[in-house]
Amino acid sequence: MVMMVVALTVVTLVATLLLGVTDLVTREPIHDAQRAMLHRTLEQVLPPHANSPMDDQVTVKRDGKPIPVYVARDGSGRIVAFAWVVVAPDGYSGAIHILLGVKPNGSIYAVRVTEHQETPGLGDGIVRNKPWVHSFSGKTLENTRWAVKKDGGDFDQFTGATITPRAVVKAVKQGLEFFQARRKMLLHEARQSASSSREVVQ
Amino acid sequence: MTKTEIFADGFWHNNTIFAQLLGMCPLLGVTTSAENGFWMGSATVLVLLGSNVVVSLIRGVIPKNVRIPAYITVIAAFVTIIGMAMDAWMHAMYLVLGLFIPLIVVNCAILGRAEAFASKHSVTDSVTDALAIGLGFTFALMLLGGVRELFGHGQLFGFHVFGDQYPDFLMFILPPGAFIALGFILAGVNVINRRMAARAAQREAHAEPAGEAVGAEAG
Repeated sequence: MVMMVVALTVVTLVATLLLGVTDLVTREPIHDAQRAMLHRTLEQVLPPHANSPMDDQVTVKRDGKPIPVYVARDGSGRIVAFAWVVVAPDGYSGAIHILLGVKPNGSIYAVRVTEHQETPGLGDGIVRNKPWVHSFSGKTLENTRWAVKKDGGDFDQFTGATITPRAVVKAVKQGLEFFQARRKMLLHEARQSASSSREVVQ
Repeated sequence: MTKTEIFADGFWHNNTIFAQLLGMCPLLGVTTSAENGFWMGSATVLVLLGSNVVVSLIRGVIPKNVRIPAYITVIAAFVTIIGMAMDAWMHAMYLVLGLFIPLIVVNCAILGRAEAFASKHSVTDSVTDALAIGLGFTFALMLLGGVRELFGHGQLFGFHVFGDQYPDFLMFILPPGAFIALGFILAGVNVINRRMAARAAQREAHAEPAGEAVGAEAG
């Protein structure tokens, strides 16, 4: 009996110790890998810029939750675009995270899906189908019917997968509405946060 | 058993997938491409090596009644360590395999080896067994992943095999395709095994006196 307790305690203690050490060793690299990943995606959804958007954030509240908004500026400090993550909670299998890059005038520069569990070969077209991904560029709330074609909108659905693109289109639209509502405040705060900024490109 | 016998047994005769039909969850879940299969298999090899060595080392010390929780703790620790390492140094692959890495803990093949082999054999034998079982598992994952990638997307390791105009054959990428492809692979394995058995029987028959050999062949 005592032996059993001792054996299990020792095994658990050693395992815990090993896990602690691994956590110490890997914490920094994991953080770096996540940053590198975010950096790569940010570069894809933002127009050419001179600053480091990852380190140039303003925080906005949405439904009580703080959302970091990354700001891209050109060489003279003018704001060229904003980027932030929108979440589509109604994907075919779970939430879809989308990084949205929007110019100050409210038109989309680019979107990229950063996290999803959609069906490989069907719903994952939101990542693999390049023309579809690029079809968001230049769209605004006004110039576009924000729905898939099946629902009378401007975006293609995929053969055998309508739910996934529908969820993404809806989330991107809500992202634009969110931007529209907070545009003035965002521009103001972004200008405040950088002393070098002078004016905004329209 | 010699090391060669242990290896042949683990890799082929007692292969986790082909013979024991264990570890179906990662097998069917991640094998949409040969590359996924390779990395999932590699992670499993590392976990198996770790758990088999430790279980073999502590086999005389752990009381019989608490051996299962002890083994599971050892396996879970190794899985978590390897998951963290992948997250840190192979981030992109970690995101692809994601959920299936922690699930290695409940891959019954691994606890199976700890209980059936490592807890009764020396450390070196257990290392051989871990390599054999792990590589056999990796081979099966890559085979199924390769078949599904080839017929599903017309690619192998991301290279277009049938030209880039290949129309995706969705069924192979979706879960039913995994079951169907696995069925064909298992049938193939059975054919190979039967041939091997027949050839072995023939060799034995030839080794015996001529008169008996005729009888054996007739039978």
